Order: sequence, then structure tokens, then C-alpha cells
Amino acid sequence: MAQCVQSVQEFIQDSFVPMVAVLCSEDAERVTRKNSLSFPELLRPFCRLTSEGHLRDPNNQVVVVKGLRISVTGINTRPPQSPELHRLLSRTVSVCQPPEGSPANVFTAGDYDLNISATTPWFETYRENFLQSMPASEHEFLNHYLACMLVVSSCEAVPTEQFLKLSQEQHRIQHSGEYTHPKWFIPNTLKYYVLLHDISEGDEQRADSVYEDMKQRYGTQGCYLLKINSRSGSTGADEQMPDPWSQYLHKTSIHNPELYEESAVSNAVENNIGAEEDVEPHYQGFCQSVNNVDEMRPQKQASGTSHTSPTPRGTCLTLNDHDHIRQFIQEFTFRGLLPHIEKNIRQLNDQLVSRKGLSRSLFSATKKLFGGGKVPEKSIAELKNTAGLLYPSEAPELQIRKMADLCFLVQHYELAYNCYHTAKKDFLSDQAMLYAAGALEMAAVAAFLQSGAPRPYPAHYMDTAIQTYREVCKNMLLAERCCILSAEILKSQAKYSDAATLLIKMTSEDSDLRSALLLEQAAHCFINMRTPMVRKFAFHMILAGHRFSKAGQKRHALRCYCQALQVYKGKGWTLAEDHINFTIGRQSFTLRQPENAVAAFRHILINDSKQSAIQQAAFLREYLYVYKSMSQLAGDGSLPQLPLPCLHSSQTRVFFGHERRLAEGEKQAATHVSLEQEFDRDLSQLWRELEEQVVSVANRGTVPITFQPSQCCLNSQTDNLRHPLAIVEEPIIVEVVFRNPLKVPLALSALCLLWKFTLKDFSGPEDGTTRETVTLNDIIDTQVIPEFTISPEETKVARLRLLPHKTGELHVLGVVYNLGTGEVGDSEGMWLVCVAGSLAEDLMCVRGQQNLEIQGPRLNMTKEEKTSVRYGPDHRLDPIITPPMPLLEVFFINFPTGLLCGEIRKAWVEFVNVSAVPLTGLRVASTHPEFFTFGSATSDLTPVTPTAAEHCSAYKTVAMPPSVATMSLVSPAVFGVTSGDQPVVAEIPLSRGVLGPGEALQIPLWLRGPDREGVHEINFLFYYESTEKTAKSPKYNLFYICAINHRVLRHTAFICASRSLSVRATASRSNTLHSRERDTEEQQEAEEKNASMLVFVDVENINTSEAGVREFHIVQVSSSSRQWRLHKCINPVGDKDSKLTSRERGKLCFKATRCRTEEGGIVSCTTPCADFFFRRGLHSEARRGGVSAGGASQMQRKSHTPQSGTDDDWTSIVKKCSEVELDIIVLWKAYVVEDNKQLILEGQLHVALQTIGKESCSLSQKEETQEMVLLKFKPDVPPPLSKPSMEQLSHLIKTCLHYPESYDHPFPQKSLCMVPVTLTLSNCSLAQVDVIVDLRHKTTSPESLEVHGSFSWLGQTQYKLQLQAQEVYRLFLKACFFQAGVYNLGTPRVFAKLAQTSAMCETSQQSAMPALIIVNSI
Amino acid sequence: MAVCIAVIAKENYPLYIRSVPTQGELKFHYTVHTSLDVVEEKISGVGKALADQRELYLGLLYPTEDYKVYGYMTNSKVKFVIVVDSSNTSLRDNEIRSMFRKLHNSFTDVMCNPFYNPGDPIQSKAFDSIVSTMMVQAF
Repeated sequence: MAQCVQSVQEFIQDSFVPMVAVLCSEDAERVTRKNSLSFPELLRPFCRLTSEGHLRDPNNQVVVVKGLRISVTGINTRPPQSPELHRLLSRTVSVCQPPEGSPANVFTAGDYDLNISATTPWFETYRENFLQSMPASEHEFLNHYLACMLVVSSCEAVPTEQFLKLSQEQHRIQHSGEYTHPKWFIPNTLKYYVLLHDISEGDEQRADSVYEDMKQRYGTQGCYLLKINSRSGSTGADEQMPDPWSQYLHKTSIHNPELYEESAVSNAVENNIGAEEDVEPHYQGFCQSVNNVDEMRPQKQASGTSHTSPTPRGTCLTLNDHDHIRQFIQEFTFRGLLPHIEKNIRQLNDQLVSRKGLSRSLFSATKKLFGGGKVPEKSIAELKNTAGLLYPSEAPELQIRKMADLCFLVQHYELAYNCYHTAKKDFLSDQAMLYAAGALEMAAVAAFLQSGAPRPYPAHYMDTAIQTYREVCKNMLLAERCCILSAEILKSQAKYSDAATLLIKMTSEDSDLRSALLLEQAAHCFINMRTPMVRKFAFHMILAGHRFSKAGQKRHALRCYCQALQVYKGKGWTLAEDHINFTIGRQSFTLRQPENAVAAFRHILINDSKQSAIQQAAFLREYLYVYKSMSQLAGDGSLPQLPLPCLHSSQTRVFFGHERRLAEGEKQAATHVSLEQEFDRDLSQLWRELEEQVVSVANRGTVPITFQPSQCCLNSQTDNLRHPLAIVEEPIIVEVVFRNPLKVPLALSALCLLWKFTLKDFSGPEDGTTRETVTLNDIIDTQVIPEFTISPEETKVARLRLLPHKTGELHVLGVVYNLGTGEVGDSEGMWLVCVAGSLAEDLMCVRGQQNLEIQGPRLNMTKEEKTSVRYGPDHRLDPIITPPMPLLEVFFINFPTGLLCGEIRKAWVEFVNVSAVPLTGLRVASTHPEFFTFGSATSDLTPVTPTAAEHCSAYKTVAMPPSVATMSLVSPAVFGVTSGDQPVVAEIPLSRGVLGPGEALQIPLWLRGPDREGVHEINFLFYYESTEKTAKSPKYNLFYICAINHRVLRHTAFICASRSLSVRATASRSNTLHSRERDTEEQQEAEEKNASMLVFVDVENINTSEAGVREFHIVQVSSSSRQWRLHKCINPVGDKDSKLTSRERGKLCFKATRCRTEEGGIVSCTTPCADFFFRRGLHSEARRGGVSAGGASQMQRKSHTPQSGTDDDWTSIVKKCSEVELDIIVLWKAYVVEDNKQLILEGQLHVALQTIGKESCSLSQKEETQEMVLLKFKPDVPPPLSKPSMEQLSHLIKTCLHYPESYDHPFPQKSLCMVPVTLTLSNCSLAQVDVIVDLRHKTTSPESLEVHGSFSWLGQTQYKLQLQAQEVYRLFLKACFFQAGVYNLGTPRVFAKLAQTSAMCETSQQSAMPALIIVNSI
Repeated sequence: MAVCIAVIAKENYPLYIRSVPTQGELKFHYTVHTSLDVVEEKISGVGKALADQRELYLGLLYPTEDYKVYGYMTNSKVKFVIVVDSSNTSLRDNEIRSMFRKLHNSFTDVMCNPFYNPGDPIQSKAFDSIVSTMMVQAF
């Protein structure tokens, strides 16, 4: 139970107070009327006594009466009848609302934090009013009148006569039997004579004399002279006087049923005029003379109703008068009332004591006689209905009860309890249940109030009493009173559970208000328990709310539901939560709190509710209805926010530019970016890198600091920190994601974007030209989607288009739409639409908006950001509209999807400038620059249109005799490949460098199938600029600098490469001597000897699709090298084309010689071939990080003789010896059958030869294809400093023996044969080499001794030489033979080491081939 | 037989509620929710030391005019609530106990499902059918 202002004791004491009736003469009434008060009202504020009173009980014990209150009412004040009472109570409750900003205490129970108002003033008000309006009943005397004040004015002609009259009147009322209503406690009621003297009017002396007379007549204790109205009327109205009546009088208004208004909903200040009519209606019955007062009343009422501040009361009273009144009451109570009570108690006690012995025995005798429990006066039949049993007013059983009540009223609770207890026994034995229940109730209360508390509170007395009242007597009022008292007592003893049970038991169907209030109190009991029962609290609150709403107490109902919602909210009890929300919504709506209603309904709809579809549809309809009425109320302000459908703001995507045209005839448009594509972080990074590269090329090698990658499609993963740039007259498409959480379809209509636009004129020099503008279609075309239906639980995207016509700043704020139920399709709806279009508006649909608020990514840079949760901005929806820019469209014609590896195909590409601005600086960057070429600038042998070239070969065929090698020199620069250039970016030649508005340009494009089979994704990035460089003008403001400088267009092509040929090539050093062709010149000779090589080209058809490709023809083999060139083919077959069908292999052999010039060259120097050759694999080589052939040779040349080389240098030098730098280009033709047509495909493959003796392949090495890379958590150990291997070192020196093949010697003549032999030592390296030549036979193996022992070298047998770079040195030796035979001269062992490396030991050089000499004997 | 069977998570949100469709579903939700207070009261009444050996069956939580609400709490503090019609006097305490035991077994099976995410509403056909056998068949 909620906390109360009063303590329980106070409350109970105030519930039962001595009642005093007032009978007023007409004149006296007029005197008090001056203060707008009746006499009882005048006294009311002073009815609580501040001082203690004393009286003696029958045992002469002094009883102290503390804080006694008496109730003074007009004699005719009749408690309202039941229906009236209900209305009055209902009104008081509805008027009493919790104050707005009341400090609600937060209640924590478990994981619940509840915000509950601690007090329930409406309940206290109800309780007070209820108890005061209890009708006086027969079985108890507590609210019977104990005394009667007879009030007569002093200005009366003969006051004593008037007193007499009033006294008779009172006597008549009490004893004549005509009046049933005012009940009197005891027959001889205390009459107290009050002479009311109006000081401002009357003659004081006369009053005094009358009072003296009265004293004589009634005794000093029975009369009083009350002097009031010390001042006249409104003279002192401005003076601030305390108004003690205010807090009492509004409560009394409940006694005035006429004024009750049903529309008490308005929480306005109560009208106080009701107070004036308090007594009057009842006067009319017996005091006609008051009529003129009655005449006055309506006017007063009229003035009263209009007032905002209450009518001033007590205007004629001074503080002195207040004191007079207080004194009067005190006098009355202590001198009149208490002695009267004391006397009566004594009297009753005497009666009872005297009668005790007799009556007890008599009673028991009669009881025995009648078989127990029967009252002698009553017949048996009547006794059946014990509830209706009535004792005569003088019955002895009632005397004891009367005494008990008297004792109770004067706070003598001990005696009262004893009497009640006795009375209870008597009543019970008489089966007088009503009386017994009353006695039980009061006994319990008296027991509770006993200060010493000798006995525990008998709760069961109360329970029995309540049960009896309810079930036997069917008196709900009494039961309720009893229940309230008991609950209050239990509460004070912290027996909340019992109190709650009691309160809940008391709820019934007959009174919703009572049930509601009691349930609410019960709920409060639950929450106040030692272990708070939060859920019970909530549940009973809901029950209370339900009863409140049934009782018409909408505000209280709403409050209850709101309090209960706190418990149910967000705990997963969705069904209950929805129900509460729904009720709150409805109640709020009826209480004209549409915001709350909308919020509550919104909650039902937003939650993933488990409700059935029908229920949801009902919710939705209700919501729409509430919403509509609210928006009508609100007028045409900003559109309201709608809760449905859910808007996934963060998933919003924004696309700048036109929707892509897919294809036009056979033209295939560039894929570019579209909303259909999913965002891929890697891919976007790739595009970004490409763009950076192309921008850096366009800006001569540097990327400007303002560079920002173009983003055409923004989503949650893109970088949205900066305002995106959109271009005037180009659409902006916003993709909004809607989700329908309901099980019913939603129909949106007239869906469009809501935006704000700030006009900015960028062409103007000053930057102050900003204007806020409104939604106008001449600034921005807003696309409206007329119908947009979302099926149940569907997520659907809407693409909304804007087309800006002016430059400025655009802010997309949200979406605007009409929300309706998706049930328009039913017949009725259709009918409505068909019959009257205007009626369509009446269909349930509301217009509202939803804002698109996008939260940026969470910031995580600074410490502050890391420790708190902060989000960055997201400017996705705030594009800046910039002036027109060129717009490029790219189409591809004849673009293949599948190619053989190395196949050359010609396609066409068309560039169209679709904007009104010329474009320039067209470039393309690609991830696979080796894949395509636009041809060299010099070649103009291509056909002009694509159709003409359809069946032409890509290669220009030059008729020439076979096996005659032609040589032509081409520089790679011609083909746009220079060493310093970024090969990724290619510039596209435009006529005059500009593509004008609307112009189109078609240029050929050669494609070469990738070397590796499989599907390749090839990305093109076309870059272009406007002709006017905007950023350079200083006039433009800063804002504009960040505007677009360039634009890009993306294209992604997928090429499926299938296997064609595999070419492997090996080079081997030739050891042959060109003796026959020997030139005379020394140097020439040396070169020739040093530089010839055999190249074997092994070609294999590895194409697997036998059906498609019939055969491959090797058309031509070309070479490209700075140092080597291919000579004629050494081909066994002869001049015929080598033809390879499936799975066949062929081998070609070429001789290569060293070129004289150091300039590189390529034989097939026309466009496609050379282009692709120069573009080949540069990428991959660069990535491999190895030393490319060309690079190495250049380095070598720069540092001819490194003076102080590190090991690395030596390594490279050593390597160099065995390096060749020869690229072989194999051109082939493939005969392909496709659709019964024979096609000839052409292609080229490249092989780069790097090392002598090592095989190279046209296919990329396997290691590159490795896709699964092991995760490495440690950095790779750097490869150990590579020392030149023994194998490599053994290639330093080439040796060659020159000798006559056969030598004739007349052994018989001369036993010794001397043969001159020349050993040519040729330094292959570019460094100085120390050489040791050892001619001695190896002594290690005995066989060699055996074999070679037959000849020996003469002269110096060990030489130490130093050979300069590339030097050829001849060593003239003499071999000595002893007999004829065949000898192997190849015994000299050559050791070499690089001259500068002392650390290294000499390495044995590769020995020459066996050199056989035949020595003939002649 | 039961008119409503509910499984409540440790955190007191419903994992499963099924009631006889003829009667107001909402009412049972309220009833079950309110019964949690009594469950908590009963649990807190048992001393801490005894909490380990306490019986899972909590007995009659409270009677209302039309229904009797029985409770059961697993060791993991998942609560089972069974609401039976007050008029059904034939049901004995033992039968209620066995119903709870059956429910508990079936619930354990649900928990053992590796695809069940603890804390999610129970959507198991097997559990459904077990519950159905215990429910009043509404004709």
C-alpha cells in the first residue's frame, strides 16, 4: 500500500469522531452567510482540538483525550445515496491526479528499476470521502449525533424564544419518528445553545444581556456567546488573511451532487462554490424561510463558476474571530461534550452493572429455552435472516455497544475493547450477525489502538467481520470500510502480503472504482514487501488499470498501465507488452495525448511482435487512425515521423551517375559501377590503386594531395568522410532499404526523397552566393514512386532518383511517403477507388516521413576515441552538386570472352562523350596491361572500320623467302613502352586531343590471350578530364578546389583463356670453332669464337579441346635481344611450316650470334606483335624482384670493372658469364573449327632465355600459380648471401684447343713427335680473372696415367695468367708423342678465380671436350 | 491436463509458452509472468546451503479462481510453469510431478541439440509434441 500522509492511528481516530448536529436559526444563518459560509463550515477548520481534554471513566480513572476532532454538520446533512455516492467518489478520484513533476521514487528490485509514485493521494481522498459519507446505520452509534448546537443570532427580536423554537424542533426531529435520517446517539441529546453575535451589526450590550439570561436558563456550561464578524464585508479584502477553509471546503463539495460533472477529466481547479450549498437543499424541506437565501444562490453560483480564484471566505472575520471560534469549540468540547459523554458512560455503565446479574441469567435461561442463539423478542422465522435482525434501540445488547462506542470516541480504547468484546459475544450468541460483525470490527480496531498493546491485533476479527458484512449482510460499504481499516492496520504492521490478499478479496464486480483503487493498493503492497514482488505488482497494476478504465478513470488507468509497462518492457514478454502498449495507446488517444498514443502504437509495430497477422493488421489500422487524427490536429507542420517500415539507414547506398546501358546492338558497354554490384573491399582497393596510378601519370608522376578516389557508389563500407561530388544534370540514385517487420503487407505510395538544397553558384567569383531553397522541381527533379508494396516480413530496396539542375549543396534528409495497409487490393477498396477517386483519400493512409540518419564508422584513432564510443561523420547523403563535367561512355565491339593462350584478337573500342562538355586526357589503366594494346602511334596500316578488318589477319604478312632471316630494328619507345614509364597506364590518342560533346571515337584494340589458362578478370580504368582545368583558377573558392578534376570509368572484362602451345627453349653454348669462316681481324675472330649459341625451341601443342582446334602452325620465330640475334633455322624438315596437331611436339633449332650493335631489336616489328612483346610480362618480372636480363646488362655496362666489389657484385659478374638475354617470339596460326566454319586464329608466345643451358618456358612458372600461401607469422629469413655456385664459377673461362686433327710423323726416323697445340683461353666474364693452367696429367687416377701416359707436354707445364675482361689469350704448347696412335689432348686443367677476390680459391673450369689427335706414323 | 505450459529462461524471459488456444493467450502470459514472483519467493526461502539439494519441483505456486499454477525450476534456474484448470480435481500432485519430469527431459534434449543456441526461443518439434501430450486437448 502506498505511503499515506497520516499515520494509521491518526487515520483511524479521524475516521470515528463525535458527531455534533447544528440547528441554525434563519438570522444566525444570515450572519454566517456574510462570510460565504454556513455555520458548520465556519466551525470546521477549528474542529480539531489542540489541547488535551480529560474525563473520568466509571472507575474514576482519568482518561486523557488527545488531538480530538469533532465533526460538526448541519442537522439535515444527509449522506448521499449509493448512486450519488459513486459518482461523487468517482469525481474526487478523477480530480485527484498525481502532480506533474512529483518526485517519483526509483524502486530497485532485482534487475528492475521502477519509477513509482510513492503516494496515492487519490486513494486517500477516496478513503476520507468514503468514510465520511458512510450512512449511519442501526448497529453502530459511532456516526450518530451526540449533541446538537442550537444557534440563534443576537439580532433576533427575542432570542430566547428562538432557542425554544429550535429546541423543540430538535426534539421533534429526534423523537417524533417523522424523520428517519439523523440518528441520535442517546435519547437525551446534549443541547448547546449558541448565541451568535455579529459585532459589525448588532448591539453588543444586548447580546451580553441575552447571554446572561441564557446562562441563567441553560447553565454556563450549556450556552455560549460567539462573537464574530468583527469587520464589515470587503473592506479589508486586500489584506492577506489565512484561509483555513480552503483545505476543507473543496472536500465537502462532494455532498453537492448537482454540481457533479461527468467531464471531470479536465484537471482544473475544483470549483469551490459547492461548499455554499452544502446544507441548503435540505433546508427546503423544513425551513421555508430560507427561500430568499435560495434566491441569492444562483447568482452566487454564477459568479462562482466563472471565478478562477475561489470566492473569498471569511472576509468578515479577523484573526481574533478565528480565535473566538477556536475558543468556542474548545469550550463546547471540554465543558459541554466531554462531560456529557462522561456522564453517559457512567450512566450506561451503571445500567449495565445493575442489570448484569439479572440479564445474564435471564439471557442464558431464555437461550436454553429456545435451543440456543435465539433472541426472545423475535420469532423463529425472522431469525433465519440473521442479517436483518434488529434490536430495538433500547435493547440491553445495544447499551453495551453504545458504551463501547462512547469510550472509543473519547479514546478510552481499553474499555472500548472490553465492551466491544462483550457485545460481540452477546451478538454472536444471538446470531445477530450484522451487530456481531460491527462489534468484531471495532474490537479489532480498539485492540490495535490500545497504546500499551496488551494483546496482539486480532486480524481474524477483521476477516470475520468482512466476511460477515459481505456474505451475510450483503453490505459492501461496511465490508469495504472494514477492509480499508484492516489493510491499513496490517500495512502498519508490515503484513503486506495479508493486506494485499485482503484488498484483492475485496475487489468485486459491483464497483469498478473501488476494485481499481484496492487493486492498486494491493499492487503497492506487493512492491513494498520485504522481497518485492515486482511482477505481482505489475500484474495488479494492470488489473487496476483495467478497472480504472472500466470506471471511466482514464488518467488513472493510463498511469497504472504505464507503471506496469516498466516491468514488462524489454523482458521478452512481448504479448503482454504489446497489450499494455496497445492499451496505453488507446487511453492516451482518448485523453488527447496523441504523441503518447503514437509512441505506444509505434512500439507495438516496431517490435518484432509475435502477434498474429490479424492482430497486427488491427494494430496497424488503429495506429494509422490515431496517426491520421493526430496529424489533422497538428495541422500542416513538418511531416510526422513514421515507424514503419523499418529503415535500415546504414545500408543506404548512393549512386552518382546514370544507370548503365548494358548493350547496344553488338556494342557492349563498359561495366562501370552499378547498384547491382556488391561492394568488395579488395576490388575497391584495386580500383583505387589503378586510379592513383593513372592520376599520377596524368599529373606527371605525382599524385596531388587533394586526390580522392572517385566513388560512384557509396555504401556503409566506403569512405564517407568527405562530401561526395555529384554533377549537375546527372542523376543521384539513393537506394533505401526497407524492412517490413509485420506479418501484414504494407503499402507505401508517393514515395520520394526529402532533401534540402543550398544553392551555390560556383561560376561566380565570390563565394557568398548561398541561398536556402525549398523543394522545387526546377532545382532538383525528385522521382516519386507511386506504389511500393512490401510484403510481410520482407526486406526490399527502393531506388529513388534525384536529378539536380543547379549547383549547390544537397542534403538528403529522408524519405516521404504515404503509409497505408496493404489491403487496398480487396474488393471494397477497389470499389472505393473506382467509384470515387477522391474517396481514396479516406482509405487508411497517412503521410509521413522517416529520416535517414547515418552514423559514421566508429572512431578509433586517438586515445579518447578509443576509450569512449564515438562515431565519425558520414556524408554519404550530402553531395555537393558541381558544374557540368564531361561524361564518357565506352563501348566494346567484338570483344571476345574466350581466347587461346597467347592468341591475338582484334576488337574495337568506342569512346563517346555524352555530355555537353568536351573531354580530354583520355587514359586507360589496367590490371593486365599485357592483355591489350591500342597499337603504336606510327602504325597506320590498320583498316579504318572494324567491319572491314573482320577477316584480316592481325599480322601483316610480308612475302619473303623462307629461312632467310630478316632483321629490323625497333625501339620499344615506339610502342609506348619506355623504361621509365608506368606500363600500366596507356594514353588513348584522340584527334586534336579532345573529344567534343557528343562525339564518338572508334579505335582498334588488340587483345592477347593471357599466358595462363583459366578465367582472368581484367579491369580497365578509363580516365578523362574536363578541358578546363578548374582548380587552377585562383578565383574559385576553396570549396571548389576539392571538386572533381577528373573522372573515371571502370570496366571489368572476363576472359577465359584455354591452352594453346607450350614453347620451351634452351640455349647452349657452341664450342665449335669457326675456323673456315675465320676472319683475319683479330677482334672479329675473338668475338666470333666467343659468341655463338644454339637455341632449341621445343613447341608442344597442349590444347586439349580436340574438337575446336585442329592444328597449330608455327609461322615464324623471331628474336629480340640487345646482344643476340637468331640466324637461320637449322631445321631438318626444311622450309615447310611446322605443323602440330593435338598433343604433338616439334623441335626447332636456331643458331644465335652476338650482334655487333648493342641496340635491341625485334624482327616482327609491326603493331600487334611488337606491342605485345614489349608489354609482356613486365609486371610479373617486376614483381618477382629478380634481375631482369636487360636491367642486369645495363648495370654491367655502367660499372665495367668494379673496383671494390662486394660479394653481390661478384655474384652478378659471375652470373653474367652464363647469361643470355634473348627473347624468342613464336608466331603461330591455329586452325579452328567453330560452328562448321574454319577460322584461323593467330597468336604469339614469348620465351625469355636467361641462362645458358637452362630451359625456359612460355608458360609462367608453376611457382607463380601457387594460390595457397602458408600463413607465416615470422618474417622470412633473408636468403643467405648468395655465393656464386661452383657451377657458375666454372663458366668463367672458355677453353679451346687448336691442333691439327691428324699429324703424320715418321716415328722410325724420329722417335719423338712434337705437335704444336694452341690453347685459347677466353675470359667470358667482364672482370679480371686469374687463371692457372696446369698441363700435368692428373696423378690421382691410375687409369689416366695409363691412358695419357703415352704423351706428355713439353716445356712449361704450369702457367699463371691474368686475363682482362673478355680477353682471349692464346697459349702455345707443345705436345710430345712417342708413338703413333689416337690421343686425347684435352688434359689441361684450367683453374680460374676472379682477380680481386683473394678469399676465393681457384675453381676448376669446365674442361673442354675430349680433343682427339691422330698421330700417324709414316 | 495443463492449459498452459511455459518455459522461462534464467533471466525470466519466456523461452516457450504454449496455451490452450480457446482461452486468452494473453491471460496466461500474465499469469505465468506473475507466478515468477512466487517462484523467486520460494527459491529465496530455501537456505543457501540447501539450495544444492533442493527439490526441483516447487509445488503449487498459487491458486487463482480458475487455475492452479505449478512451478518447477531446474538447477540452471530455468523455470517450468504449468497451469491447470482448478476444476480438474482428478490431477494429483504426483501427476504434476511426472509432467514436470517429462518436460524437463524433453527440455534437456532440446539443450543437447548442437544447433540450439541457448537463450533462444525453443522451436523444437519434439518438444512441441511432448508439450502437446500434456496439454488439454481442445476440441
